[in-house]
Amino acid sequence: MGRKAKLANIVSELYLSYGGLITPLGDTATENFENMRLGKSGVHKVSGSGFNKEDWPLGKINSLTSENRYTELLEKICEALIENVGIEILSADRTLIIISSTKADITALPSDTFASTREILKNKWNPAHAPLIISNACISGVMAINTAADYINGDKYDTVVTIGIDALSDFIVYGFQSLFALSDQSSKPFDKNRTGISIGEAAGAIVISNKKPENGAFCVNYLGGSSSNDANHISGPSRTGEGLFRSINKTAERSSINIQDIDFISAHGTGTMYNDEMESIAFDRLSLNSVPVNSLKGYFGHTLGAAGIIEVISTMLMIEHGLLLKSPGFEEQGTTKKMNVLSENVEKEVQLALKTASGFGGGNASLILKKSL
Amino acid sequence: MKILASCKISDQGIYLNGEVQQKYTKETDNWKKDVYSKMKLDYPKFYKMDALAKMAFLGFELMESVSSFEHFEDNDVALLFANRNSSYDTDLRFIESYTEKGSPGPSLFVYTLPNILTGELAIRKKWFGENIFFIQENFDPEFFIDQINFYFRKGSKACLCGWVDSANDKEECFLFVVEKTDGEITAEELKKYYKQ
Repeated sequence: MGRKAKLANIVSELYLSYGGLITPLGDTATENFENMRLGKSGVHKVSGSGFNKEDWPLGKINSLTSENRYTELLEKICEALIENVGIEILSADRTLIIISSTKADITALPSDTFASTREILKNKWNPAHAPLIISNACISGVMAINTAADYINGDKYDTVVTIGIDALSDFIVYGFQSLFALSDQSSKPFDKNRTGISIGEAAGAIVISNKKPENGAFCVNYLGGSSSNDANHISGPSRTGEGLFRSINKTAERSSINIQDIDFISAHGTGTMYNDEMESIAFDRLSLNSVPVNSLKGYFGHTLGAAGIIEVISTMLMIEHGLLLKSPGFEEQGTTKKMNVLSENVEKEVQLALKTASGFGGGNASLILKKSL
Repeated sequence: MKILASCKISDQGIYLNGEVQQKYTKETDNWKKDVYSKMKLDYPKFYKMDALAKMAFLGFELMESVSSFEHFEDNDVALLFANRNSSYDTDLRFIESYTEKGSPGPSLFVYTLPNILTGELAIRKKWFGENIFFIQENFDPEFFIDQINFYFRKGSKACLCGWVDSANDKEECFLFVVEKTDGEITAEELKKYYKQ
């Protein structure tokens, strides 16, 4: 009993490094960061993309050329992982692969939409264990990283590779259009004139390990994470930000940090009136009003199951380069609570970064990253 | 840890804590509405739910009719769910809305995510705890035991776990509530309840 209790309390030091980033702004992390630094956006009007042939602005990856965007994108991120991380780690017995996706290969219906995911991984490096798939709406990516930490802290694996991926489809675009949630210009998170979401597609991969990467790749520490439900509405954000408020509190407690020491927030910021307002209320309740914050949705669009992963990679890049990226589309404060939304890139050494996500089903999730010594 | 309650709904019938139910059956296509009426529930949101959420909702209400979860506070309960086919039935109905019925249906679209059902349960109980939804090929008791241990270690005091799946006219719902106590539960125990 004594030994067991002791073991159960061991929490390893965890390191995050990125293994691939494919978005409308580029096929590598370096290319993405350079384009973000220059203020480029990957969101552009796509002719005839709407149900009534509207030209919605979307974050579309133009280099995807095959009939099946999802499987092509998954193949590409797997190849990036093989190049950046190596088959040996990917296929090791002490390595688990976690996939974060909302709709996966939706065009496969009425067949299994997740079958091609398992098939592709098997063909690429035949993982020692069946991949674990998380499909928890827009918080899937953050939850995938938190789950990876659970597995390593539980001494089940030494390394967990999380892949966040979602591709554009009529299904998703028509769906958000039917909710009147799409913006007719590139989304403007937290701005006064925001009118909705721009949907995007992307894939990103993060390696979580109890050891620093052997190849000397840049890494940050993962301190802790959590989720919390709003218990309010399946598709409408809470008016009080209750779930997000609780999740951030829980995450800070698990990370053994003081919330006031957070010096950067990568928010969810979809660009809808209600979501962004909800986030501002939650941050206000935690007195985070003056902490620099951005939403990266203006660079890539909202990439659903990929969002949490690609936004954590972007946060790691900001920590690596000591440069906080501006929040594209933001000009004038548009939330009732004051926020320090970045309207320009700012050079800053970040020690503690908070990543948040919120989504349908009332889900909220968060995690804290620390600059590695 | 110990199992406080379990509910299994399949083609074989409705089982509560291992006992087959005579009052609540699954004989008609309308069984969800029938069970809802027989239980004398008053929760109009039920009618808006998709089949997956209705099934999870009823499974939970059945467990609650024989067990009390009132001693848990609103942050205490983690909802750990999985299935094989995500939101398959509603996905197909949503596609049908825009390919055959004129325009994409927003009330269908919001249910095209499997974790909407955990949202429905959280709303019903006003539970603000952790939620997660996995896609797996089969119900895997060892996997659930690992997850329960993770969430207990992180501070949850109970886990509402579920395998809720619906595709090609095959419906399956297995829910169980586990409380954090001394002692373990075994995969065999879970398998036994699941196989009913």
